[in-house]
Amino acid sequence: MIRTSGRFRSSLVIGGQGIRARKLRTFLSMISLFTGVLAVVAVQAGSVIAERALLADVELQNGVDGTRLMYLPQHDSVSGITLELLRGRSDAVAASSTSAIIGEPGVKPINPGGAPLDQPGSYGGGGSMVCDQTGCRPENDPNANAPSGQAIELQLTMLTGDVTTFKPYRPSSGQWLDFDGAPSMAPRLVLNKQAAEGFATHRVPAEMRVEGATANPTPLIVGVVDDGGYGPAAYVRIDEMANWMPPTTTGDSGRYGGMEVLLAPSAHEIEQTMRARFSAAGADVNQMYTRLVDSRSSMESQLSLMRWIFLALAAMVLLIGVAGILNVGLATVGERIEEFALRRAVGTPRLLLAGIVLAETLLTGLITAAAAIGAAVVGLHLAGAVLGSREPFLQDIVFPWQAGVAGVIAGLVAGVLGGLVPAVRAAKIPIATVMRA
Amino acid sequence: MTVDAPTVRVEPVRAPERLIHLSGITKTLRGQGEPRNVLTDVDLTVHSGESVAILGRSGSGKSTLLSLIGLFDRADEGQYLLAEQDITRLPERRAAALRSAEFGFVFQRFFLLKHLTAAQNVAMALVNGQGWLPRRKRRAKVMTALERVGIAHLAKQRPPRMSGGEQQRVAIARALVREPRILLADEPTGALDTETGRLVVDVLLETTQRGCGLVLVTHDQEHAARMGRTVRLDGGVLSETHRGALL
Repeated sequence: MIRTSGRFRSSLVIGGQGIRARKLRTFLSMISLFTGVLAVVAVQAGSVIAERALLADVELQNGVDGTRLMYLPQHDSVSGITLELLRGRSDAVAASSTSAIIGEPGVKPINPGGAPLDQPGSYGGGGSMVCDQTGCRPENDPNANAPSGQAIELQLTMLTGDVTTFKPYRPSSGQWLDFDGAPSMAPRLVLNKQAAEGFATHRVPAEMRVEGATANPTPLIVGVVDDGGYGPAAYVRIDEMANWMPPTTTGDSGRYGGMEVLLAPSAHEIEQTMRARFSAAGADVNQMYTRLVDSRSSMESQLSLMRWIFLALAAMVLLIGVAGILNVGLATVGERIEEFALRRAVGTPRLLLAGIVLAETLLTGLITAAAAIGAAVVGLHLAGAVLGSREPFLQDIVFPWQAGVAGVIAGLVAGVLGGLVPAVRAAKIPIATVMRA
Repeated sequence: MTVDAPTVRVEPVRAPERLIHLSGITKTLRGQGEPRNVLTDVDLTVHSGESVAILGRSGSGKSTLLSLIGLFDRADEGQYLLAEQDITRLPERRAAALRSAEFGFVFQRFFLLKHLTAAQNVAMALVNGQGWLPRRKRRAKVMTALERVGIAHLAKQRPPRMSGGEQQRVAIARALVREPRILLADEPTGALDTETGRLVVDVLLETTQRGCGLVLVTHDQEHAARMGRTVRLDGGVLSETHRGALL
């Protein structure tokens, strides 16, 4: 152990002396290697950042990984039981979506069917599909005979609790829904960015028509979030809508697929309780099913192919750098024959001679890796500062540690590959060279 | 011997130890062309504190003999005892360890690394993977070795700024820094003027007073005459020409 430690230290000391003695050569080797290591770092950083950005968007829609999504059966009692069981819980949140039109009373919305506002007619006339136990079928357009006017149709999601635990919507302005206080008669809405842009463009009076509601309430818009959606949407406390809608309606919207419950990994007992209560109420519990959100693994399989292709290209660039180190290493060993023979004469083992050469190339590789990682960090910081306003995912971006590890590994691999042949040659230098000189 | 004064240190008189004992050593070089006998049935013994000069014409096998003694190479036949231990067939790993611990080498060309200071060149023999010394201890040993050869003041100088004699002293300090039992010198004065060569031999002979065995390969009769014993190699055959008292 002591001997190994001594050899390791000796190789580092002598390798460091060698690098200092040949600064220009080391610098030139580093330049040839720099591009390759930087390519590896950039590919790894790019893939991690892309994965993070994609995952962040997917999480907005599907929920964070580990969330269990429970789909409820369609039955009159389901909504009431769910609201009762989930009231005040933070580890389980029910969400029920329906269609709402906000604007002039009795007019046809400018985006029938809740189509994106930049493509208002893309969903046809608004007669969307409706699904229930018997299957899906076209729904009659409720606005078919209404006159055109200033109104926006959006997806209204009614929530029993704070869903941002499961779907981390990004606050844009205002505030998120407060679930602690008493429900308001005027439903408080949080819009998504698309809906907010629509209301900024079309200054419409704020009356809200909701499918199944007994009357049209006047909503109070309290905030805007980025929910990753393409169409206009709004979020509201389900108990605030309960003032305007019978309980059976809040949980049974055929258009948006009924009520779903988002469960934290720890909320096991609530699923059993709900199943028992639904069964007792006569609902078909066979319609219930639970799905675990695991977006990362499904995305990784999609991204890995791209990552490997780019890494292969980066590896080819790295190989050019390795060839540079190899070339310089062979030339250097050729020049240092007497030195290595002398070192053997004073008792340096062959293995240590190889270690000295490898230590030099490894140190070169590591210094290059540090430089490449530093350049990548600075580059990413600059990209965030310059392009952050156009590309939100670049704002407050953090250099991924995986890219740093990849850079260090690339530097080490390049050092080993570039130094191996020169190291073997150094170890084979005959000791008698010093006697014949 | 009785010593009254407590400050006087008395070195015990020790019998010379047999450090090197070669018997029946034969070496044949096999390269292109016919095999050539370089050494034939060579017997040689070197004791501690003894200085031996090896004389001979170019190609007589002097350097080959020194290579065998220094474990740079192996004999084809014969036996090599180092301090009564048979090291005739030694694996390279152990040979390297012995070279480091038991031998010091001085060559005609000094083989100093230009990019290192004198102290770093001397330290090369300590930073060789055979154990590890902390920097402070290493520096102390290096300075002691440089002081022994009288050039401690040049510790931070690099070889290109030194004279030939100074460079050879650095090389001797490098050979002595591990306090070897045997010093092997291959024409150490060959690249020096007469006076400087004489001074270098003085330094080498001084090591024998500390019990080190010295084997000097030289062409110079004057330097050879200063050794305790002189042997001559002629056509690979060793013969003794002069024997003085053991130092």
